[in-house]
Amino acid sequence: MEGAGGIAGEKNAGTTARTATDGGAARGGTGATRTHLEPRRILAAMGPGMLAALAGADAGGVATYSNAGAMFGFGQLWTVPVMCFLLIVAQETAARMGCVTGKGFASLIREQFGVRLSAVAMLALLVSNTTVTLSEFAGIASGLALFGVPTYVSVPVAAIAIWLLTMSGSYRRIEKILLAVACVFVTYVVAGIMVGPDWGAALGATAVPQISGDPAYLSLLVANIGTTIAPWMLFLAQSNVVEKNAHAEDLPYQRIDTVTGSVVASIISWFIILTTGAVLFPAGVTVDSAQAAASALAPLVGHYAEALFGAGLVGASFLAACVLPGITSSAICEAFGWERGADRSWAEAPVYRGIITAVIFVSAAVVVLPNVDLFGIMMLAQVINGVLLPVLLVFMVLIASDKHVMGRHANGRVWNALTWAMVVAVAVLTVVMFVMQAMGL
Amino acid sequence: MIYLSQLLGNPVLDADGEKVGTVSDLGIATGEVFPRITSLAFMGPGRTPIMISWRKYVETYDEREVRLKVVATDLRFSYLQPDEVLLARDILNKQIVDTHGMRVVRVNDLKLSDTSSTQLRLLGAEVGVRGLLRSLHPALERVVLRLARSFGHPMPEKIIAWSYMDLVERDLSDVKLSVSHKTLDDMHPADIADIIERLDPRLRGQVFAQLDDEQRAGAMAEFDDDAMAVELMGGMNETEASRMLSEMDPDDAAELVSELDYDKAEKLLRLMGVQEQRAIRQLLGYREGTAGRIMTSEVATVSEDATVADAVDMLRGLDEDFETVRYVYLVDGDGKLTGVVTLNSLLVAEKDAPLTELATADLVTAGPEDDQEDVAEDIAKYNLLAMPVVADDGRLLGIVTVDDALDVLEEEHAEDLQIAGGSAEGDDSGHASALIWLVRRNVWVALWALGVLAIVAASALVPAIGGRLPLAQILAAAIPLAVALVLADDAVSYVTNFFLEHDPEDEDSPSAIGFALRGVGIGVVSAALVALIVSALVYVLHELALTGALSAEGIGSLGSALAAGGVAAAVSTFVSFASSPIYLGVLSHRDKTNKETSGFTLSVVAMVVAVVVFTVATVVAASVTGMAV
Repeated sequence: MEGAGGIAGEKNAGTTARTATDGGAARGGTGATRTHLEPRRILAAMGPGMLAALAGADAGGVATYSNAGAMFGFGQLWTVPVMCFLLIVAQETAARMGCVTGKGFASLIREQFGVRLSAVAMLALLVSNTTVTLSEFAGIASGLALFGVPTYVSVPVAAIAIWLLTMSGSYRRIEKILLAVACVFVTYVVAGIMVGPDWGAALGATAVPQISGDPAYLSLLVANIGTTIAPWMLFLAQSNVVEKNAHAEDLPYQRIDTVTGSVVASIISWFIILTTGAVLFPAGVTVDSAQAAASALAPLVGHYAEALFGAGLVGASFLAACVLPGITSSAICEAFGWERGADRSWAEAPVYRGIITAVIFVSAAVVVLPNVDLFGIMMLAQVINGVLLPVLLVFMVLIASDKHVMGRHANGRVWNALTWAMVVAVAVLTVVMFVMQAMGL
Repeated sequence: MIYLSQLLGNPVLDADGEKVGTVSDLGIATGEVFPRITSLAFMGPGRTPIMISWRKYVETYDEREVRLKVVATDLRFSYLQPDEVLLARDILNKQIVDTHGMRVVRVNDLKLSDTSSTQLRLLGAEVGVRGLLRSLHPALERVVLRLARSFGHPMPEKIIAWSYMDLVERDLSDVKLSVSHKTLDDMHPADIADIIERLDPRLRGQVFAQLDDEQRAGAMAEFDDDAMAVELMGGMNETEASRMLSEMDPDDAAELVSELDYDKAEKLLRLMGVQEQRAIRQLLGYREGTAGRIMTSEVATVSEDATVADAVDMLRGLDEDFETVRYVYLVDGDGKLTGVVTLNSLLVAEKDAPLTELATADLVTAGPEDDQEDVAEDIAKYNLLAMPVVADDGRLLGIVTVDDALDVLEEEHAEDLQIAGGSAEGDDSGHASALIWLVRRNVWVALWALGVLAIVAASALVPAIGGRLPLAQILAAAIPLAVALVLADDAVSYVTNFFLEHDPEDEDSPSAIGFALRGVGIGVVSAALVALIVSALVYVLHELALTGALSAEGIGSLGSALAAGGVAAAVSTFVSFASSPIYLGVLSHRDKTNKETSGFTLSVVAMVVAVVVFTVATVVAASVTGMAV
């Protein structure tokens, strides 16, 4: 297939060159004359990045960061700026692909790599998103458990509510409420300042990486990557841009959105690690339950810590659980050319609705199983996410650096190098993690 | 039969059997119903892309290899011609429009003609699951096929012939498609609109830009989603947009213009012809939801003293895109409507007969400020194809046609359904919708759970009760809540039924005060009923205690909890019915401002109110009677 592109490139240069720059050329004329950014359009572009940032502080995220702080103190603070940077690289690439091509990520994978590789990518996405949804249900269950609601009540009710909301497409109405609830995690910022940690040590630990050979440290690192740069975020970022019909000339605005979203997400995760590192690590508390994680907020709000933490956890998890099945199903249907969209009936889009239903109920069913370790599920899901991330990143970097697709907006060398470095680093970490765990056993 | 997926990647061998590369693509000549394969593209040594003529060089081909007629050194490379398309690059895996089945699909594989003939042709694009399975692995397709057959569900191929494919990605727009080709442009505007709605936003704009003015105008009027129509307008330049507006029926154009922001609308209107502009501005002068807004000013009128021949001449002279004529209207010198002549009577009448003889003088007309729903109902009632809209002084302003009336009725029907608590989609079939229906009908269960939580919270917070109560007591108190919730739901159904049955502007519909009094009355009666049922339950509990079946102490606390709950439920039921005028007010206010209201939301609101009232009442009742033991 690449050969065909090559032929066209040489012998029918006009056609492909136009294809590649189509997005830019269509509105390029107006874009060139504009030299400064308009504030109104910056606001208009804001949204997807912020959403991804706050939904990123979901069940899995909080579990991972709390664990990182509780187990290793400030030992993993250095990952936050690194992750922030990598998150910007990944999200920017996704948004750029959307702006230039006007197509979703799944669509691009299919058109560039054909059926077989799309099947691989979609399988990776399905597995990763199902485990994340699973961890969201675990988050809802353990958040509501703080209010005394048993799992076998909270999970089925939540599953049916989420299913109804996604099926009718009306979750957008409550999206803002849930986002507001999820903002509870901003209290970590206040809590972090209130506990008065050793700021020098914290900043030092942020600047100077520490590597430990502990298998737990490595798997936490993979989970950290998996939860910060989750595959579903890439799909969400790109499809949001496509839905808005942003063009290449809108790229500067999309970049502002991406960067602010990533920075906000990273600040929150930095403070979660800081707070848990300052409160739980010295006390030797291991975060194996929502109560333990909530106790990090105790210095700030006393015994309201559990209620506050529970509300935030449920809100963020519920939001992510509403978004995830839809993204998954939409991407798969996009890749294989099936009808999709919340406004399609069962008769019109059976596969779309079927996948959503399956993802929700399989995840809920696993969480309801007796004696499952809810916090363990949340962590495991992030590790799986981290392991599968390179698969999708490889597709992304190959498409984004293809000049036939991206025209003059193709990846530069630096961006390519960064993405490949990320792929290799995660892959190496994963292998090392598995080897160490195998030897540890 | 052979498929493209089976040819790609096969080795290309020259006359000596030397491998010269692997197949990467096939080129077709586009000018035929079943296009010939004209060129073979393959990857030469060192990944050099090479293209050669299929007819000149290919000797044989099958699922394993392609054999050439000559040795590698004798090959002459060729170039892609303007009317050629590369199958793998341009069609495989891409989205196409199936102009026969009128859908947007993705090409999973391409089916080529038999391998036995030397002339290889493209038969069509495979868009079904079989193509996907085959591309994954041919063996997978065979296994699934056999399984499907043994279960009695044979899987036919889904093939779209080349002549019914329209390539939506318009980098290929300069490809000349065959004469027999049915493209998107040949489809009905309503179908085009359906297809465009299913594309990604970027592609929507591109496909839309490919249509001619007439098609655009037609499709634009058919979009269900106003926001999408406005976005497509945004993508067009102003002259194009105004040209399209002029092309549209004035009533459709007015609807579209009213969705645009003021500056843009004004700019577009100024660019239009004087006549069309005036027509649209006139319509925009009327409020939304009135006959004036949906009427068209394109009316076939003749002077009242004209003859049949004059009328026929007038009809012959009409523009091609004039609104379909159903009636010819007679007007006097001042433009006042004096009569209507049907087309049938024009056809059968003598040429020189005066029209006044044929005309119906008994006219059914509407005023421009009349509610569109009333006009539509009248059109249905009097079996009209169009209803004239006349001003107060009798001047003919325009007509409301039956197709617009149908749209109005459909819209109102959907709104009524939603108010009644149903789903507006209507076409959603199967078990899932039944389940949704069940959940919607039984949402009180969730609210009941909420109520239990509320009582738990209240008992912990209010010191008068004395701390957290045992679960059994709380549940006992919450039993009557279920009845209160169901009755709250009924109160809303009562309101919505009343609203749907009675038009507030009708003289014979009951007054607001009457409705409010009736609500209070029903509230008192049902509250008494609830109280009666609960006291019966309390009595049974006491009897059980007397017979010694249960310990008196436990019964006592449960009984008082139940009693408190019963009182609270009665209060809450009364409030639900007594507040029915408020719900009615909300409904009619939203209806007046043209907002959609969902009956489901309304009943959820009512039930939440019921839970709140119930909780407060329980706490009060409990602290008075001293529920805690």
